[in-house]
Amino acid sequence: MSRTFLPAPYGPPRTVWDRINPVRLIGELSETRYWMYLLLLPSALLITAVVLYPTLYGMQMSFREMRLNRPDLGTGFVGLRHYERMLSDPVFWVSLRNTAVWVTFSIVIEFVVGLIAALALNRNLPGTKVLAVLILLPYFLPNVVAGHMWALMLDPRLGVINDLLVRIGLLEGYKAWFADPGTAMAAAIVVEAWHSFPFFTLLLLAGLKGIPTDLYKAADIDGAGPFAQLRLITLPMLRTIIAAAVILRVIGLVNSPDLLLILTSGGPGRSTQVLSLYAFQTAYRDFNFGYAGALSVVMFVFLMVFAWAYIRITKVNQE
Amino acid sequence: MISPIDRRTVLKWGGGMLGASALMPRLAFGQQTSINYWHTFTSQSEFAGLEAVMAQFASAHPDINVIQENIPNPEFMAKITAAVVGGGRPDVTMVASERFADLRAMGALVDLTDRIASWERRGDFEDARFASITSEDGAVYGVPAFAFVDWMYYRKDWFDEAGLSAPTTLDEMLVAAQTLTDPAKGRYGFGMRGGAGGQAFVVNLMEAFGSPVLSNGEIGLDRDRAIEAVRWYAGLLTEHGVVPPSAPNDGFRQIMEAFQTGQTAMVWHHTGSFRDISGFLEPGVEFATAPIPAGPAARVARLGYAYNAMSSDANADAAWEWIKFWGEPDAAVALLEATGYFPASTVAAQDERISGNPLYAPAAETLGFGLPQPSFPGFAGWSESVVLPAFQRVLIGDATPEQAVDEMIDGLAAAVG
Repeated sequence: MSRTFLPAPYGPPRTVWDRINPVRLIGELSETRYWMYLLLLPSALLITAVVLYPTLYGMQMSFREMRLNRPDLGTGFVGLRHYERMLSDPVFWVSLRNTAVWVTFSIVIEFVVGLIAALALNRNLPGTKVLAVLILLPYFLPNVVAGHMWALMLDPRLGVINDLLVRIGLLEGYKAWFADPGTAMAAAIVVEAWHSFPFFTLLLLAGLKGIPTDLYKAADIDGAGPFAQLRLITLPMLRTIIAAAVILRVIGLVNSPDLLLILTSGGPGRSTQVLSLYAFQTAYRDFNFGYAGALSVVMFVFLMVFAWAYIRITKVNQE
Repeated sequence: MISPIDRRTVLKWGGGMLGASALMPRLAFGQQTSINYWHTFTSQSEFAGLEAVMAQFASAHPDINVIQENIPNPEFMAKITAAVVGGGRPDVTMVASERFADLRAMGALVDLTDRIASWERRGDFEDARFASITSEDGAVYGVPAFAFVDWMYYRKDWFDEAGLSAPTTLDEMLVAAQTLTDPAKGRYGFGMRGGAGGQAFVVNLMEAFGSPVLSNGEIGLDRDRAIEAVRWYAGLLTEHGVVPPSAPNDGFRQIMEAFQTGQTAMVWHHTGSFRDISGFLEPGVEFATAPIPAGPAARVARLGYAYNAMSSDANADAAWEWIKFWGEPDAAVALLEATGYFPASTVAAQDERISGNPLYAPAAETLGFGLPQPSFPGFAGWSESVVLPAFQRVLIGDATPEQAVDEMIDGLAAAVG
């Protein structure tokens, strides 16, 4: 017969010390339903301080006049004025379109290359551990370093890539990749994909390790080829991980202007101007934090809608 | 016999040592005040100059420890804005003249009028040197550390070979650029800065064509003349092909590399590049200097000053010592020797090493007609966020000069409205 040992319930306080003894007081509190709320309080305070407050502060800023270099305008409430301005701001619309191109192509390339790399590393062939480190190297580089490195490699005068392409006959002369609006965005996407595809590799590889090999053996017996196995086993089994990785990367791509800031600053013209870069420049070049706040809120809403729609479409939360 | 150490003795000694250790750092460093100095020096020569000035200062003021921090130019405004809004201001910061209006407006600078008025070296500086760091109500916020004088570097050997002399007008410059351009050899007449930082030259050229952005206190652009200027300048790429095709994305590094490696014959920049170019090309033989050519309406070259200003008054006295030290002739000459940056002090500028060098003569000439950058809240943001992209759109064929100038006019109205 098993016995369950429970702490003895605290009896009524018998002395003055019993009434003020902190250990006893905590012990009594721990047996009430308020205890769980008390345990959650530090986390809740932390989240409020570092997530909720900045987010709400940023949002309220978008409804105010806040130009740091124009203190004469004050910081009064302006309602939806910044949002109305956005509707007639051609740079906003160009930035929105460029953001869609930037995110879509970057994600597709990063996912495809990342999946191929993960499948290759999952085969456990000799040398894959070294290869894994090499593949992950770009992701360890800070964006700033990667940006400057690629700016030099694609330099129209000194760039090694131009030199290679000319030597193998693909180019007649050195090309100014970031000065031509036809190639600037594409070149920036290649740099971004090179830098971030290991993120997909890492997550997908972890997912691949968790797929039971029996499934592939059974598929082999049933005569399924490699592509059929990829389509019918691997990708469905990775669905949750793919969904999480895509959402995280989309958030990263939409919110981070650093790579484009280094490579093109949004130019030439507005050909690589994206929303995050526009918001950054509006805040730190024009010092218009109100309008920059409104741009950020729009990005925030887009990301929320995207995440919600994506999760619904992929049905990952129904598993 | 070893005497026993009881609990009380241990506590007594331990407490004493703990108290002493808490006091020791104060005793050791208590006499020294540390100040933070933010600057935008990046090149090797600039750091050599800064170190020379800091070494002189350390000898003169052993009680003050200067902690320098490099903030790259493109990130400077973002960083200092964040420091003003969120805290963490430096004691002293370098302020480029075109940034003064915005920094003052956001409350990033401390008024130094009284300190400067009673400064023993105030007489070494002409009043004009303080113009770009003085507010409309007469308050002065900084001390000029050194000057940037806009001028032109050109390949003297190529010019001599082609029988050309240094251009004095924009028309002459175009002819020279056409003569010296040979794309088959990868050689172009002019290194246009169409990327980061290139907006200053667009503004200058508009003024050279008769459309100053700030005239007699009035802010605005003369549309027709501005269009003429943009058409001429963009035409160097789109019509005449005398600048490298990479011009729309070429910033400082690219235009300097192109000139230093023999891909361009002329380049506009300020005196601060002299030392770096001299490391690649022989001064007076392979390259020479000339004043910026004159436009149809004016000859526009900027006299920019880098000022040192106080951002936080937490260590005001120590910060002021550091700020005014840059006005000492020895410090100014040490910086010049390392970087080529011109002294802002009139006394220091009379040094033989400057006045006796013929390659510096164009800079001395420019001091006679050069102008400070326009300065009003919103100017820096407008020129960077509107003028440059609009001009780039003309370079890449995405807009006409008329459309670009209209965009600039609208942007200017929004920036100052």
